Amino acid sequence: MITASLLLMTVVLPLGSLLLAFRQRWQKVYLYSLPLLPVPALLAGLNAELQNWLELPWLLLDGTWGLDDLRQSFLLLTSALWATAGIYAIGYLNTRKLRAFCVFWALTLTGNLGLIISVDLASFYSFFALMTFAAYGLVVHEGTAEANRAGRVYLTIAVAGEMALLTGLLMAAQHADSILLTELPGAIANYDRSWLIIGLLVSGFGVKAGLPFLHFWLPLAHPVAPTPASAVLSGAMIKAGLLGWLVTLPIGELSLPGWGNTLVVLGATGAIGGAMLGMMHIRPKTILAYSSISQMGLITLMVGAAMANAAQTATLLTAITLYALHHGLAKGCLFLSTAIKMPAERRSRRLVWLLIGVPGLSLAGLPLTSGAAAKLAMKDALKPEQYDFTLAEHLPLIMSAGAVATMLLIWRFFWALHQSVRTGPNHRCTWLGWLFATGCSLVAVWFLPGVWTHSGQPWFVLTASEGWSLIWPILIATAMSIGWWIARGRKGSGVD
Amino acid sequence: MTATALLPVFALMTSLTAAVIIFALPEQKHRLRTFVNLTAAILKLLLVGLMIRGVFQGKAYGIAFPMIPGVEFVLRADALAMLFAGLSAALWLLTTVYSVGYLENSPNRSRFFGFFSLCVASTLGIALAGNLFTFFLFYEMLTLSTYPLVVHRGTEQALRAGRTYIIYTLAGGAVLLFGIASLHVLSGDLPFRPGGHFADMAPDLQMPLTIVFVVLIAGLGVKAAIVPLHGWLPVAMVAPAPVSALLHAVAVVKAGAFGIVRVVFEIYGLETAGALGLLSGLAAIAAFTILYGSVMALYQSDLKRRLAFSTVSQVSYIILGLCLAGPVGVAGGLVHLVHQGVMKITLFFCAGNYAETLGLHRIDELDGAGRRMPGTSVAFTLAAFGMIGTPPLAGFITKWTMGTGALAAGMDWVIAVLVVSSLLNAAYFLPVLRRIWFGEQKDPWREERQWGRSETSAWLLWPPLVTAGFLLLAGLLASAPFSPLGWVELIITREVNL
Repeated sequence: MITASLLLMTVVLPLGSLLLAFRQRWQKVYLYSLPLLPVPALLAGLNAELQNWLELPWLLLDGTWGLDDLRQSFLLLTSALWATAGIYAIGYLNTRKLRAFCVFWALTLTGNLGLIISVDLASFYSFFALMTFAAYGLVVHEGTAEANRAGRVYLTIAVAGEMALLTGLLMAAQHADSILLTELPGAIANYDRSWLIIGLLVSGFGVKAGLPFLHFWLPLAHPVAPTPASAVLSGAMIKAGLLGWLVTLPIGELSLPGWGNTLVVLGATGAIGGAMLGMMHIRPKTILAYSSISQMGLITLMVGAAMANAAQTATLLTAITLYALHHGLAKGCLFLSTAIKMPAERRSRRLVWLLIGVPGLSLAGLPLTSGAAAKLAMKDALKPEQYDFTLAEHLPLIMSAGAVATMLLIWRFFWALHQSVRTGPNHRCTWLGWLFATGCSLVAVWFLPGVWTHSGQPWFVLTASEGWSLIWPILIATAMSIGWWIARGRKGSGVD
Repeated sequence: MTATALLPVFALMTSLTAAVIIFALPEQKHRLRTFVNLTAAILKLLLVGLMIRGVFQGKAYGIAFPMIPGVEFVLRADALAMLFAGLSAALWLLTTVYSVGYLENSPNRSRFFGFFSLCVASTLGIALAGNLFTFFLFYEMLTLSTYPLVVHRGTEQALRAGRTYIIYTLAGGAVLLFGIASLHVLSGDLPFRPGGHFADMAPDLQMPLTIVFVVLIAGLGVKAAIVPLHGWLPVAMVAPAPVSALLHAVAVVKAGAFGIVRVVFEIYGLETAGALGLLSGLAAIAAFTILYGSVMALYQSDLKRRLAFSTVSQVSYIILGLCLAGPVGVAGGLVHLVHQGVMKITLFFCAGNYAETLGLHRIDELDGAGRRMPGTSVAFTLAAFGMIGTPPLAGFITKWTMGTGALAAGMDWVIAVLVVSSLLNAAYFLPVLRRIWFGEQKDPWREERQWGRSETSAWLLWPPLVTAGFLLLAGLLASAPFSPLGWVELIITREVNL
């Protein structure tokens, strides 16, 4: 009963909040209610009985909602990030177009949470579409020419992606003769044109996940949105594409080395190319958007490996989930930190920089952080000897290069942030939202179900003992950054 | 006569009586006319509702008597008839409400509402017709009763549009009559019957039957706006908004499409039509119409013209669905009869609201209209997304069902048509939505009218809100028993014999 009502409330509360949009004068109340909207989802993520499907036979084409391990982790990440970004939004937004922002926020949130708890295809696709279209409102919120352009690119590619998804899902569902997502992977595996369905699903969800060559919209759209919206776009919504892959692709059903190779190439391109492109930018939020492409590239490597070897699925899924959780929370924090104004006083200033720095270094895999755990889990899961597809032997090299590239990009981000940051007071809620997000990224992540231990040892300890393998990419990147900085100093400013 | 015989007659009589009373009423009796109109509409909705319940429980309603020797007049309420009758009754009520608000203080309202009622009576007659002859009677009555509505404004442009309209539809009617007569010569008076009449036809009938089929479809295709017979539809846009709404959603285009459904299912039978190779030809034409209408819509700068070309495209979904010839594909086509109606009427109501309240007709004038008219704009948005086929709205159910049916029938190319059409729909609807919600108002509204704190007259605002609610629920609750999809599945199990 409790599970059922929490699942229903997960969607009903953010949707019902639209009633607050009826009166202009309620917009302030609406803004203050934003952090509460994901609370049922958070509770559902913490308390729900797993695999206890909620049947909604009248809904769409026969609805089924519920949570399993995978969905639970994604729901926790998503709801936590939206809640903290919601707090932050209270401090960030001024009264201009406030009501519109709240409406699009609530709709996008509904879609993002709903797709996670959907077990049937029609609900999933409905929520996915709701998120896609409502997020347009967040992207163009500022109303600048740049935002409108980004919005146009976003929408064009998103609609194309939706069509790829529709076709792929239609074919899969028709072949599975079922509307349940759980039935799709098996059906796709047994289909003689599985390559077509897989291609459609990889690219359809790849649009959201920032897959290389489908990513063009992402560095335009993520940064132009208001900062709290950027945080959820890059932290949570990008993961909807990943979740789509994980629940529909025939992972664990059969080994498809061809797809392993393809996804590894795409992942490597994203991981390294994304970081390289990001280096050319000076706006902190754009750099972070490229960093998201780069990190999703690393995750794509794991998805590719899972496609290539069905036997490794369980290990890989754990690693992917951990990585997604870690990246979502860390990236959310970093985005939120871009609009923090620095305190004038020196000691507090240092503390703030430290708190901005740790999630950044966590992305690069600093020991004792969630990033270190995620990186180790990834390395463990991607040991080349477990695979026999052509590119498997290059996985360690790609991961190392990816780690160096990640750190380089993070330094670039710190530098860019340092250039653009302003001094001044922050709204109480801005502080609070940012601190909560940082807290989640640094501390709470260890308490999430399934994250705590690895082969009997706490991750926290493990990341310390594996210190060196994690630290050397950070050191190389740091040395390179210092070298660049010195060279730039000699040539004089204005390089950018 | 028993109640089962009388119910269809009563339902038909409500609109006919209303028409007679309204013609007799003096022009200035505004309140009385509205009362008569609404009473008749509500009464009809109740009667149709009773019949729907009865049909669901397996009761048969009907009446038949010979008109001339060898030709019967047949009214019959089967599940398929109820699909169309239910749509027409529900949307008539809403359109009546809308028209009262729309035509406030304009001249010739008596004439307008009189013909309006006749038009709806014809639609119900088309739904309940039990054979081709009866169908034809009401089909022509529809032509004649809509002409005065199209030319209602009496402007030069309206009269010209009316002329085009009447030439197209009368010619179509003549072709249809020729087809019906030919069929009569071939095999006598044919009642509509599940599975059709030609399951085991003599081989020498094949050729004539094929020709007659083409003739019948050509006659019906005029109203269904199949390319190249669609020319009248975009021109008829000069009609007042409620007329356009009714024409595009229920009355004229649907009469054509419904006629094609009857001919394919219940005169020829799906299997026979398929065996004669007629369905693949029809599918190709429908697919072409779908794409052609969408491409043309893209180039229109007038909102109502864009919606008109969108109708050309969307009505052919129904026909394409039939050609899939399997239970699922056919369900997709039939359910679109209702879905398209509800979505398109919403769009036209909204277009009318923008025109009546702010004086806006062109798409590039709509910047910022969402802020000024949020209720109308929400309804418009839902309907536009429905047309694109975005889940969870009604249009998605159509697209999904048809897509599944196409794959089941091995007609994979239909998926490509659906996808391209959706992309085109997105391309011509999303920019409109962008202007409405995100555009900055540049000039003052052309002819703004104020209604106190409300965005527009309640008579104009509520009908699109209600239909927008329908199109949301038709998708969201598609698996509930009395949803359009649920009813279509009932039709398929009972009457289509697949």
